[in-house]
Amino acid sequence: MHVPDGFISPQLSLPAWAVAAPLWAFAVRRRFGREATESLPVVGSLTALAFVIQTLMIPVPGGTSTHLVGVMLLALLYHPLVAFVCESLVLLVQALFFGAGGVTVLGLNALAMGLLGPLAGWLVWRLLRRLSERTALFLAGWVSMQVATLAAVGALALQHHLDPAYFPVPPAVTFLAMMVPSLTVAGVAEGLYTVFALSLLRKANLRGVET
Amino acid sequence: MASRPDPRLGRALLAAWLVTVFAVSASRDLRTLAAAGLVAVLVFRRGIGRSLARLLRSVVPLTAVLALASVGWLRLASGAWPDAGPFLALALRTCVIAFVTFSVLDRVNLLEAVAPFQTLSRLLVVTLAQIHALRLLATESREGLRSRLPRRPGALDLLRGAGGITAALLTLSARNAREISDAMRSRGF
Repeated sequence: MHVPDGFISPQLSLPAWAVAAPLWAFAVRRRFGREATESLPVVGSLTALAFVIQTLMIPVPGGTSTHLVGVMLLALLYHPLVAFVCESLVLLVQALFFGAGGVTVLGLNALAMGLLGPLAGWLVWRLLRRLSERTALFLAGWVSMQVATLAAVGALALQHHLDPAYFPVPPAVTFLAMMVPSLTVAGVAEGLYTVFALSLLRKANLRGVET
Repeated sequence: MASRPDPRLGRALLAAWLVTVFAVSASRDLRTLAAAGLVAVLVFRRGIGRSLARLLRSVVPLTAVLALASVGWLRLASGAWPDAGPFLALALRTCVIAFVTFSVLDRVNLLEAVAPFQTLSRLLVVTLAQIHALRLLATESREGLRSRLPRRPGALDLLRGAGGITAALLTLSARNAREISDAMRSRGF
């Protein structure tokens, strides 16, 4: 669901950077200090896994592609701010070395996929975990995917509204093209992946995993 | 002995690159974008083959599919072909930005640029090393599965083995990451 470089004008991409940059600084200071030394290898490992998962992309009409995100785990195990920094790192590596997403839209993609999605999923998990842990985990993954996709749809729709000649795809097309795969396939897969990977991590009993 | 490139030059190039890609992303005029593309090709003519190959491999297919699918969708929805200009501009803008990015990064030592931020450098190195390690492990797992089956593994075989493979990937990659992280810490990162 990355919004690629060139799809969003500086009218939107610069404000997104302006919001994301102080949040990155805050998150790094709060969550990646000396106390993070023990968890850093597992965080790096899960970040790499998220990167690998995200490279399996299916292009969809209307402006972007669909794929799993995989950073919900980091939000659940550590904190949504950790997921935000790690997803930003994944997006940066993808933009710089693999031509996916891009640096102009880095702020926007990081806010959508790294902050809003995992934060929504984390809140759902906090609300529902006492009822049923597995259901809460599945719904956290599913909701994080829908919120992240909706945020990307919203940005593309706003770009079309601001300048249709810049981004010519109407919002209805973008909405349908992105939300249908997200609601039916990617969201379910993200939910199942979250349940499965977390249970594996707990069984593996790795040093630095806060379960 | 060959002299090391000046890191300040690298940082200046990175700053110029950021300004350029934002400037290109502001344009929607086909002629301006074509001119920007031409200038980029002239400026970065050394190593152009490699940058173009990366562009063709990683950006053009996705951008072309996105543009064509969007045009097709609009044709189906409205019954008329949409104006191709904005779609061409969209594809060209994306390609120019990606070409400039690949060309600049070929000339800059990125790790040197982020070196002042120690935790981030460590996370970046651990992540890049893990991406490499995960790819190797995934290839090995696939080869292992292939060697255990009398035929080429199908989607169902892969699904059946997915749990075990993911568990092995996670555990091995976390151990790997700890070793790299400890090694970096012992070197002052």
